[in-house]
Amino acid sequence: MIARTRVVLDAAPSLGSLYAKATGARLRQMLPDAKREALDLPHVEHQLAHVPVDPAKLVAYQRLMGDTVRDTLPSVFVHGLVFPLAMSVMVRDDFPLPLLGMVHLSNQVNHVASIPVDATLGAIAWAESMRGHRAGTAVDVIVEVTDGTRVLWRGVSTYLARGVWLGSKPGSQTEARTPFVAPARTGSWKLAADTGRAYAAVMGDYNPIHLSAFSAKALGLQRAIAHGMYMAGRALAGATPQSTGYDWEIEFATPAFLPSSVDVAFEDKADGMSFSGWGARSGKPHFSGSITVAPRTSASGE
Amino acid sequence: MSDTQQPIRPAVVIGGNRIPFARSNGPYSKASNQDMLTAALDGLVARFGLQGQRLGGVAAGAVLKHSKDFNLVRESVLGTSLSAQTPAYDVQMACATGMEAIGSLANKIKLGQIDSAIGGGVDTTSDAPIAVSEGLRSVLMDLSRARSTSPKLKAISRIRPRDLAPNAPGTGEPRTGLSMGDHQAITTKAWKISREAQDELALASHKNLAAAYERNFFDDLITPFAGVSKDTNLRADSTIEKLASLKPAFGKNLGAEATMTAGNSTPLTDGASAVLLGSEDYAREHDLPMLANFVDFEAAAVDFVHGADGLLMAPAYAVARMLKRNNLTLQDFDFYEIHEAFAGTVLSTLAAWDDPEFCKNKLGLEAPLGAIDRSKLNVNGSSLAAGHPFAATGGRLVATLAKMLHEKGSGRGLISVCAAGGQGVVAILEAR
Repeated sequence: MIARTRVVLDAAPSLGSLYAKATGARLRQMLPDAKREALDLPHVEHQLAHVPVDPAKLVAYQRLMGDTVRDTLPSVFVHGLVFPLAMSVMVRDDFPLPLLGMVHLSNQVNHVASIPVDATLGAIAWAESMRGHRAGTAVDVIVEVTDGTRVLWRGVSTYLARGVWLGSKPGSQTEARTPFVAPARTGSWKLAADTGRAYAAVMGDYNPIHLSAFSAKALGLQRAIAHGMYMAGRALAGATPQSTGYDWEIEFATPAFLPSSVDVAFEDKADGMSFSGWGARSGKPHFSGSITVAPRTSASGE
Repeated sequence: MSDTQQPIRPAVVIGGNRIPFARSNGPYSKASNQDMLTAALDGLVARFGLQGQRLGGVAAGAVLKHSKDFNLVRESVLGTSLSAQTPAYDVQMACATGMEAIGSLANKIKLGQIDSAIGGGVDTTSDAPIAVSEGLRSVLMDLSRARSTSPKLKAISRIRPRDLAPNAPGTGEPRTGLSMGDHQAITTKAWKISREAQDELALASHKNLAAAYERNFFDDLITPFAGVSKDTNLRADSTIEKLASLKPAFGKNLGAEATMTAGNSTPLTDGASAVLLGSEDYAREHDLPMLANFVDFEAAAVDFVHGADGLLMAPAYAVARMLKRNNLTLQDFDFYEIHEAFAGTVLSTLAAWDDPEFCKNKLGLEAPLGAIDRSKLNVNGSSLAAGHPFAATGGRLVATLAKMLHEKGSGRGLISVCAAGGQGVVAILEAR
């Protein structure tokens, strides 16, 4: 593995400025295919020595998700705290994929141990595993959150730059997809038109595709879509253990256009729980995932 | 005073009283929970000559409650001619409120702590509490904490137009967002309960309740209120054809497989009920009847949030545990009072008790509890016909069953009540 150069950030960049920068990057990266072919991920990792946790934001988050207010950090809240750091890697001039318009495919998270609200946290983020995907190019963005001595939280977010091909465009790879059949629902979420704005107000993630029909249209969507991490947060609320670590993952299928009625199903498994959500009217799958609670003895970084 | 513990003694059901149940936003629209509970208590006091008596306790409750009703039952007692020295307290366990109130009072009597008690419940969806929105409430609370003008103005500036819309109580389960009917629709489908079977149960409920009125069964169980003398939901002339013509009301996402209608589901209802309990000595000393012993009761709860069980299936578990404790089988009863939240609830519960797999895997039983003689089920009608003012249903069931057992002169009755939050309370009564 090629060693990564560490870039230390003084403070978490604001997502607003990152989105502005991303717009520029999008234009800059409209390069001919041939030029992009040689591009590689930057061999860097961005570090934030101190990740501030605002207890008031934590309460607001827990209320938003319908979770109990506790002094420990929900896993998706941690994701939100370090998302600006992850973004800072993706908006670098030498990051080869256009950020805006990127599709969020999945998350895999090791929530290694319970994280108290007053923990002193630091984080490191980098990108790896840029690879071909049937619809473009996928990349993993890794973030590790530590308390200075060990990794408490490790998240892999996978994004897809749709229609962007690093090499030559692959031939027609039509994977036979099994049609989605909704299971018996165990719950129903009514996502109001302002769901994206409510999430942004708490987590600071003002991505225009989630905020309003108007801002989403500007980016080519018919209406605003529900934030994937909002849905992940709802799924995990009340379903994760409090005193031990756990792993969870979520995979996104089709977007949920706001306002939306999402039917969900939770199912107990021997070592945790699986969950899925789909459009109550459209019947289209929005997400599926699982929570795995397993006794963990140690956690490794990479 | 004895320095040794007394042996457990029987708790006796002496009688009951309720006001007729009325469909919501009908004749009781202007009546409050306190008005209706007081009326039910007044009728009970008059029937059994309790004026001026200090009872051991009065416990009741309401599922939908105004914050001003923090002492609903005590305030109601103060409005009756019972001695003002009668202690009272509120119980709240969703639709099992009445059963929990009566059962815990029976326990106190059994232990010799009290000699007499009234348990019951009341509910209205016509006079329901309306709350300000969470946004406005948060601002108002911050405003009350602010000590100077600047933070006060800052708080006020946070008010948004949408915050001015009030919050009415919903029927949705907070953790799933599904209404109780939509939850039951999942269970009804899982147990393959047919539309026809549900409609037949609903029809039987109306026919049985009408017949009970016909033979004046309720004459000493009901006192008229607000010009109403009979449950207003009762449709004595209902037919299977009429019921079959109704469109699905719940589980509409199931499309053609939706089976639950307004006809085989209980409507929102207003009403109140009360049951007088006592020790044998208390009944004898006051020359009061003894209809039945309140033998035992059991609560259960299930994990419906993550789909392990149906929302209203807790009584299936509670009955299994209670039968075991009392060395009884499901067939050892002369009457079954299974609260008809939905026809599908009753039929799913019966199906579960008769299912070897459910009884083995969920209840841990080697053999299924088995089927019941359906001619013993809800013989004087139940909630589908009478209506279901949430907390008042327990009192209706206990008083009705106790009278039926006393009329028969022997035997045993089983009560089963499901409740929101995946809970349920069941009980055994024995004739005297």
